[in-house]
Amino acid sequence: MDCTETRNHLLDSQRGTLTGELRARVDSHLAECDACRQEDAVERELSAVLQDRLPRPRAPEALRRSIEKRLMGEPPRASGGIRRTRRVSFFASAAFAAAAAFAILLWKPHGSDPMLAEAVNDHLRVLYSDHPVEIESGGIHQVKPWFTGRLDFAPVVAFGGDDDFPMQGGAVAYFLDRKAATFIFKRRLHVITLFVFRAEGLPWSALATHPVGGASGTLETSRGFHVLMWRKDDLGYALVSDVDPRDLQMLAVKVEGGV
Amino acid sequence: MRAAPHLTLVAATDASGDKVWYPEAVRKENFALPRAALDHLDALYRVARNLTGRDSDAEDLVQETYTRAIAAESQFTTGTNLRAWLFRILRNAYIDSYRRARANPVHGGFADEFAAEAATTASEPLRGDEELERLRGVVTTDIEVALASLSVDARSIILLDLEGFTETELAETLGCAVGTVKSRLARARGILRERLREYGS
Repeated sequence: MDCTETRNHLLDSQRGTLTGELRARVDSHLAECDACRQEDAVERELSAVLQDRLPRPRAPEALRRSIEKRLMGEPPRASGGIRRTRRVSFFASAAFAAAAAFAILLWKPHGSDPMLAEAVNDHLRVLYSDHPVEIESGGIHQVKPWFTGRLDFAPVVAFGGDDDFPMQGGAVAYFLDRKAATFIFKRRLHVITLFVFRAEGLPWSALATHPVGGASGTLETSRGFHVLMWRKDDLGYALVSDVDPRDLQMLAVKVEGGV
Repeated sequence: MRAAPHLTLVAATDASGDKVWYPEAVRKENFALPRAALDHLDALYRVARNLTGRDSDAEDLVQETYTRAIAAESQFTTGTNLRAWLFRILRNAYIDSYRRARANPVHGGFADEFAAEAATTASEPLRGDEELERLRGVVTTDIEVALASLSVDARSIILLDLEGFTETELAETLGCAVGTVKSRLARARGILRERLREYGS
């Protein structure tokens, strides 16, 4: 048996579903081939990682009760106004979007959303960094060109700060696996960080119902920080701060080119 | 024609967990989808959670799955594989939900449906022991992000395989030929490994 054939049977071999002669041939190839043994070990580790490190939550009790009822013939009924609103926002038209937005703002669980966690972590890095700003702001026309050559995309930001939201400057940071343009704004004594990054390949929520200029985003709260995230064309945006969420909303509209 | 209710009573558990008795005729009308469908709730929720990456989306997706299942229960043939049938509905509901999200520019969508099917050549293959070392250091966030970057079918086959689906069940759920399941799974895992190498570096 050669390496290609062995590798086709590796998963079955690991799961003990190979029998007879086939199993003997796979085993004997593994015994004499270092590369295939290595591959075998990596595949086993991948299975273990998936098994052990992916969240494997049980269905919430309220969901179980609601589905049990429906299987017994009761029509679907909202167990509470908020849950209902969220379901509608996911599976029905965008007409409900604005109404749903504040419900989501208040209630959306955010247990293990990697993007939310990352946005807050990145904001904390800005807050605790000795040099959060790599380029002091003399306005957007000074900050934006500074990113050229430092990023593999051009951050599209229509707002360079005003009296309400003075821009402090910019820096390059990482958002999960990719580089992000970081813009730092002030709102009175609070710091607001705007991250701009390539949007593709990230686990964006389908529950993007919070209006942001021409786009829609999600407004969530984690560890005392509000995070407003949205995507526009190829770019993703995350605004993070402890200011009033309405201030984030105002700034988002400015960033998107509104007034 | 509806059968008139008669006095044969059958037991069922109501929403609060108490045992209640229903006339059999009522049961026949309203319980046609086997209560066994509830046995798959945890698995559906688990897969939905890792398919969407979010608890709230998972809940919505599972609700939608049962809504569709109840509406289409006449299409379910007793004795056939209920699990594969339910997961097929889940997968279709998921695809519909973000197709809608993509078609409607007001909404953000999930990662592109066809994203990342082709293996990229950007990252150099690691030596086996290096890859093993790196895999051991992978944390939940890494694997969630890597999964999210896969196509829906690649993500689905990995998650369903994790649930112990047989090749026949996988084929039934994903709507592909049984003979192609093994290579699809291998390809999906290969791309996942590649993503984990990129993120881990």
